[in-house]
Amino acid sequence: MAVKKRSDLSKPYDFKTWHDITPMNISAGTMLHNKTGSWRTIKPVFEDKMPACQNACPAGNDIEGWIKLLQQGEYEKAYWHLKREEPFPSILGRVCFRFCEEACNRVSLDDHVSISALERFIGDRGAQSAPHPDLPEYNGKSMAVVGSGPAGMSAAYYGRLLGFRVAIFEKLQVMGGVLRVGIPEYRLPRKIITAEFEGLKAMGIELKPGTAIGKDISLEELRGRYDYIFLATGAHGNRKLNMEGEDKSRRIMSGLEMLRKVALGEEVEFGSNVAVIGGGNTAIDVARTALRMGSSVTVIYRRSENEMPANPEEVMEAREEGVEFRFLAAPERVELNDDGSIRKLICCEMELGPADESGRKRPVKKDGALFDVKTDSILTAIGEVPVLDYLKGIAGTEKDMVAVNDTLMVNTEGNGKIFAGGDIIDIPRTVVNAVASGKKAAIAIDCDYRGTDFGDVVKKISIGNGPALSFSTYMNWKPAVPRNIHLVVDSEKIVYDYFEKSPRVMQKTGDAKTRKSSFNAYSETFTEDDAQQEASRCMHCGRCIECDNCLIFCPDMSVLPKGDGHFGYEFDYDYCKGCGICFTECPRHAITMVREEEGDK
Amino acid sequence: MERTTQKMIEIPRDVMAGEELWQPGVLSCQGCGASLALKLALKGLGRRTVVVIPACCMSIIVGSYPYSASQVPLLHVPFETAAAAASGIRAALDVREEKDVVVMAWAGDGGTFDIGLQALSGAAERNDDILYVCYDNEAYMNTGIQRSGATPAGAWTTTTPGEAIKEEPKKDIEKIMLSHGIPYMATASVAYPADIYTKFRKARSIKGTKFIHMLSPCPPGWQIDSADSIKVSRMATQSKVFPIYEVEDGRYTINVYPERKVTVKDYVKPQGRFRYMTDDIISAAQELVDRKWENLTGMANFKAP
Amino acid sequence: MRQLLKGNYAAAEGARLCRVKVISAYPITPQTSIVERLSEICASGELDAKFIKVESEHSAMATLVGASSAGVRTFTATSSNGLLLMHEVLHWVAGARLPIVMTNVNRAVSGGWNIWADQTDSISQRDTGWLQIYCESSQEVLDSVIMAYRLAEKILMPVMLTYDAFFLSHTTEVVDVPDIERVDEFLPPYRPDFKLDIDNPRMFGGLISPDYFYEHRYTVHKASLEALNYYPEVCREFKDVFGREYDVTEEYRIDDAELVVVTAGTITSVARITVDKMREAGKKIGLMKLRVFRPAPVDLWRNVLGNVAKVVVIDRNLSPGLGGVFADEIQAALYPLETRPLIYPVVAGLGGRDVTPADIEGIINHALSSDDPAGAPLFWGLKQ
Repeated sequence: MAVKKRSDLSKPYDFKTWHDITPMNISAGTMLHNKTGSWRTIKPVFEDKMPACQNACPAGNDIEGWIKLLQQGEYEKAYWHLKREEPFPSILGRVCFRFCEEACNRVSLDDHVSISALERFIGDRGAQSAPHPDLPEYNGKSMAVVGSGPAGMSAAYYGRLLGFRVAIFEKLQVMGGVLRVGIPEYRLPRKIITAEFEGLKAMGIELKPGTAIGKDISLEELRGRYDYIFLATGAHGNRKLNMEGEDKSRRIMSGLEMLRKVALGEEVEFGSNVAVIGGGNTAIDVARTALRMGSSVTVIYRRSENEMPANPEEVMEAREEGVEFRFLAAPERVELNDDGSIRKLICCEMELGPADESGRKRPVKKDGALFDVKTDSILTAIGEVPVLDYLKGIAGTEKDMVAVNDTLMVNTEGNGKIFAGGDIIDIPRTVVNAVASGKKAAIAIDCDYRGTDFGDVVKKISIGNGPALSFSTYMNWKPAVPRNIHLVVDSEKIVYDYFEKSPRVMQKTGDAKTRKSSFNAYSETFTEDDAQQEASRCMHCGRCIECDNCLIFCPDMSVLPKGDGHFGYEFDYDYCKGCGICFTECPRHAITMVREEEGDK
Repeated sequence: MERTTQKMIEIPRDVMAGEELWQPGVLSCQGCGASLALKLALKGLGRRTVVVIPACCMSIIVGSYPYSASQVPLLHVPFETAAAAASGIRAALDVREEKDVVVMAWAGDGGTFDIGLQALSGAAERNDDILYVCYDNEAYMNTGIQRSGATPAGAWTTTTPGEAIKEEPKKDIEKIMLSHGIPYMATASVAYPADIYTKFRKARSIKGTKFIHMLSPCPPGWQIDSADSIKVSRMATQSKVFPIYEVEDGRYTINVYPERKVTVKDYVKPQGRFRYMTDDIISAAQELVDRKWENLTGMANFKAP
Repeated sequence: MRQLLKGNYAAAEGARLCRVKVISAYPITPQTSIVERLSEICASGELDAKFIKVESEHSAMATLVGASSAGVRTFTATSSNGLLLMHEVLHWVAGARLPIVMTNVNRAVSGGWNIWADQTDSISQRDTGWLQIYCESSQEVLDSVIMAYRLAEKILMPVMLTYDAFFLSHTTEVVDVPDIERVDEFLPPYRPDFKLDIDNPRMFGGLISPDYFYEHRYTVHKASLEALNYYPEVCREFKDVFGREYDVTEEYRIDDAELVVVTAGTITSVARITVDKMREAGKKIGLMKLRVFRPAPVDLWRNVLGNVAKVVVIDRNLSPGLGGVFADEIQAALYPLETRPLIYPVVAGLGGRDVTPADIEGIINHALSSDDPAGAPLFWGLKQ
């Protein structure tokens, strides 16, 4: 680099006889000729690593990367950077499970960074309709995506970036899958979804709403017209309660069906005193939707609040809005009137027994502990199942889901290779997992097209502990510095002594009364000030930010800023003794100590 | 540099990356606190500085004849004479009417607490205009880790081996120096570089005897990993074993308030030199540390009624 | 201008005339009046110097290490235990080639206090590398200080001037004190080539490895020997300017002497009187005043004493287990000669025991009457 070698500045003193003893024993030169680097057995290298947040994200979102751009005021650059690994920030910024925030290393200091809110800020500021900067030429092959939910959207997006000609088929008249018909308007306004699809269209992706596979077009026909097929029809079927009387009343409805009808503006009939069975996010969505439709709502869940899979923030908001909760109770049977209306719902008290395969305590009926619940409407939300009739005769299922191999390929014969992803395969049922699965499928399809081994590829591009894959690494898109995506920086590696506590900035959320009075979105995207304030809390784990600690603490003056406008530092290996102080005092573990190789001094 | 919640070490980049008055090639061990301390001190003092070094690790670290890692004038002197020689240089520079040059004695704990105490006391009593820095690695490290008056109670050294670890507490050099009525007395530690920078810059403009007691970690002597050199020093301050404060004309100011709770036990645990400390000794030490901290905060916060 | 001065005041006057800039000293009997006088003239401004009142002699010399390295003319004074306390630093000063001038009042060394005349203190420092010049009179003390700076600053070696406790330090003589302007002509300001200097930052001293140390010590030795060349020049010039003559050694009535008495310090004055008296009685006695002791003027000693039949060396010092040191060194110096005198080592006057003309006469007669200096040294005056 540009630094002049300091060891070149030294000259050993030429001493031959006693005449050369210097007057008054003064020094005749510097110690620069003494290359103390020869003492080393290990040496430091700057190596940017994987922060815990990115490692925890199923899609491998390069959070630190776009937060850094956000802090520099480069909102547009941040937007496109974010989209490299996670294409829909305005959506995920509103509805994501936020694995990243749980894993955020800042939790050990004060509170996690509001990553999701920052993502929403970037997403909302981003120009979805601006031309995509990374669009390549078409490669001559085509891909049909069946289902326009997050998995399908993601596969289409990445498929196009890999050069495939893509069409998205959607059964309903509106695009978006579960985003459109499963998540209520107040959480994810439909105009956001519409804007995203405009963006996909602008990339050249064909949208085909109102086209059902198995009805409007057969899977066989699709196979004939497209080189690759990606099935992402989601899980919109309702899991049955298997309760006596379940199918015998119009007032006992699938919660998913209710949400869909409300989302599509269709008529839906339910009473003013609703019981929602279930404890997941769907149950909460159903409850809060019913509330906004004017009903009073009680959520009945068979385990305790601690075991509820629903997002605690949602539960709290629901409570604030007036949703009641009844824990450790399960519906036993329903008694109906002649006209099909509900006389009463009989529930049984539950208690927690030993853990089941999910690790949670299994609920067990308490003998004889039955009680009545007064309700005129029951909405069930105890799980969603995929509806896979269209696959009959073409592929098999396992546990109600599509069986796929490691490359997400469905085992079939014939033309048009079929891949599957999202909620119809056995992955965690979150939007971000679906997006990740779409990305994985696109890469798997690309490997099939190129004839490369997907397993090898996965080894190279797996983020941290996996299973997220780095699309940027697959495409060899250069980040600013080389990043080791396999080394994860968890909280043990952060030096918290170097960070101030700082309260988390929250998005402004309306009060409960205002919220429940409409389906309007009730949280506000960050202002620029709030976003900058919150972004400053990011500790940039694993990635150098030029904080100067290494430069300051080196006892051998062997850390030199690169200078001349170049980012970062370099080590002067002529003198570095490998003491490791820089490694220990880097607040964010951006330095690695490596063994000195033989002859590599 | 964007906004951050990191506690940035406030030394300007153009100072850190600027003129190197302390150059590499030095003979210090890996992770040496003394070398780092002098590097930071010279950043604060600048080139108008004359350094006096008695027998101590630094006599070797700076380089052997005829080479010097220092880019400021430097005088080697006998072991116990740092303060006396510094006084002499000061007198000569005043005679030569050299303006604005700091004369700094840079001595180890041996040359300060023990053999050099007399000369230091003499200079302080005369209030000679010198800056005396004791970089304290808490034993005679240069001669191979023998105990000094600065060695803390409970420490192993080669002259206080396992069966006879040092019982006597560390000499309170800070109080000794304060008893001379000098205008400036401060402690400092390589774990807090911005504080070092500030204090040395301040010392330039104070007339009279200035004393800085600097904690200087020694990986071989403390028996710690060289990479933990700074971390362990930081724990010394966080555990209040080595508080960082200054006394200007008798007014106390505590410069670093520990944010994290660290006990004496936490502090001694990673250091091999403390491996013979029993729980009783540790509890006694904790009591003493707590009491001293109370006294110190009392002095700092005292307001006459 | 002629004044009545004690030896100590003569030393102080010498320092004043040489315009020393930094003084650092610690009081010890019988040197105290030097520091008192210097304090006065520094306070009054008559001498423009900084006087650092250190807390021990070790620090006194160490302070001058600093000041002299910083390129100014320095001065100190001490005696016996004070000199001994400086011992480590004396070695350092010579090794560092610092042109410091010090007056040492020769006083007995302790382990049993004694504050009176005895040369063992300075003798015990003979290996430090300091040049040593033994003075006999107050005038000589004052003059020797002036010449010492010329010598020291030219060859870059420290110079110690010694004179006897009380006999010289506290007795008053008439001394011609030159005008300071005359001294300025003789002794220019000290302008060293190298000093502690911000504009030329060097390291002074440092660890000298076996690869260099031998040569370094050799240069110190060579520098000391250089005095034997340069000092006579200084003395000649001094005579031209001030009219008084000194030399490395001084001979008195040597030419046809059959026996030469060698003395240093105030005993020389007593010996001179005795030589005159004995000459009058027809005895061929001569006197060599041992003035410069370091560097050892071996060739000169050989020239002066080589052809004499008998040499009596009077030591007002004692190296236990050896004897008197002047005698020892002179014997060693004369050893290589083909013809050597009979040498009679005599120890006398330790700890302020008076040495009278009668003593000297007795010593000389003893040497004249025996042909064998058996049982040397002769402990003259020992109560036994």
